[in-house]
Amino acid sequence: MEKALVLAASAIGIGLAMIAGLGPGIGEGYAVGQACSAIGRQPEAQGKIQSTMILGCAIAETTGIYSLVVSLILLFANPLVKLL
Amino acid sequence: MEFLEFFTIDVWTMIFTWVNMFILYKVVKKLLLKPVMNVLNQRENEVKKIYDDANEANEKAASLEKEYSEKMAQARDEAGEIIKQATLSAQKREKDIIDSANQQAAAITKRAETEIEQERKKAYRNIKDEISDISVAIAEKMVQREIKSEDHEALIKQFIENVGEA
Amino acid sequence: MDVAINGPKIVFTLPFFGGINVTESITHSWIVLLVVTGVCYWLTKDLSVQNPSKKQIVAEKLVLMARDLLDSNMGKQWRGYLPYIGTILAFSFLSSVMSVAGLRSPTADFSVTLAMALVTFVLIEYNFFKSKGFLGFFTRLTEPVIVMTPMNIISEVATPLSLALRHFGNIASGAVITALVYGALASLSRVILGWIPNTFIANIPVFQVGLPAVLSIYFDLFSSAIQAYIFCMLTMANIAGTAD
Repeated sequence: MEKALVLAASAIGIGLAMIAGLGPGIGEGYAVGQACSAIGRQPEAQGKIQSTMILGCAIAETTGIYSLVVSLILLFANPLVKLL
Repeated sequence: MEFLEFFTIDVWTMIFTWVNMFILYKVVKKLLLKPVMNVLNQRENEVKKIYDDANEANEKAASLEKEYSEKMAQARDEAGEIIKQATLSAQKREKDIIDSANQQAAAITKRAETEIEQERKKAYRNIKDEISDISVAIAEKMVQREIKSEDHEALIKQFIENVGEA
Repeated sequence: MDVAINGPKIVFTLPFFGGINVTESITHSWIVLLVVTGVCYWLTKDLSVQNPSKKQIVAEKLVLMARDLLDSNMGKQWRGYLPYIGTILAFSFLSSVMSVAGLRSPTADFSVTLAMALVTFVLIEYNFFKSKGFLGFFTRLTEPVIVMTPMNIISEVATPLSLALRHFGNIASGAVITALVYGALASLSRVILGWIPNTFIANIPVFQVGLPAVLSIYFDLFSSAIQAYIFCMLTMANIAGTAD
């Protein structure tokens, strides 16, 4: 019974954790949009803009990855179950 | 089959990773970076040497050219100097020659004048003597008597003076 | 459904200190080590100054690329860190890209990425110590006001933690998603081919052929390269940032 409760709460937690995926999504979308307008304004700097954008996106993705890590831990290596 | 947890901090894995990274560091440093950097540096040095040589050759050529042009300018100056000197000496010589010629001409003229004067005086004296002789002869003939030269000397002299003035 | 998402498999256990578990992460790191050693040895076997061979050009290009990366991000005075940057670049990229061959990436193990990040952390702290002196090393944590000290300590600790977690998270999530997709495709083919009486033929996961390749390009190649690059960039930025 207790385990089922913890697992259910964990499942809800996983779902909630993945809401953090919103942030990087919005941020990266904004970044890519800005990069597109920058390329439109200065097409000769495309290479530099693109690499900087990909780097920035990958760093901005970090928070999303954190939430993913938390949810993966809760899914596959749930530390809460062991506490029982 | 045993597995570790999906998310866990395993100290031995970390230690092994450190050892692996250290070995990899040594490998990358000794086997890749050092030889490649060596080659790159050598190539850089060679290129630098080639450039240095070329620069040196260029500098040498430039200095040679400068030297030659200096020499040429010097030679030109010298030639000008020589010509000037020659002109000067020629002018001096010309002047000397003209001067000496003038002098000689003047001397010749002077001598000629002196000679003329002397000749004139000689002729004058000759004429004077002849006139006195002739006048004595005329007087002798006209008077037909002996004239005492002492008495008439003054008279004849006066006559000659008058002739001389005429 | 028999999708098992596990940590690294324990290959064997050394009988010292109450049993040292040698996991897949470690054995696969050894593979990386061997590959790097072999490639380095092969690339730099007979170098020549005058007429470089094709592989020598590759080796020179690699070195010059790493050096340009370091020069543009750290500056020429940090060239002593070139071997370290090269090491983490090679280790991180090759470890991550290993999953193309179906081997578990060592970098999908948090212990490995944490160990890498801790080395960077030690280097950062060492350079702080070198540039700021003994006293400045501690007083920099109390800036701008002394109340900020706990926040500064947290942000200091967060640097290696975020480095390690970012790398681990990207690679591990790639591995998990690939495993899930494989499992899903296996069950899909089992559902569709289930009517075949021959159990052997029915169990052939035909749908596993095409789609995972596309995923593999993103998760294995692109993500690996980007994460290795980011790990190096952040390492370089953090180390070079200690000087000012």
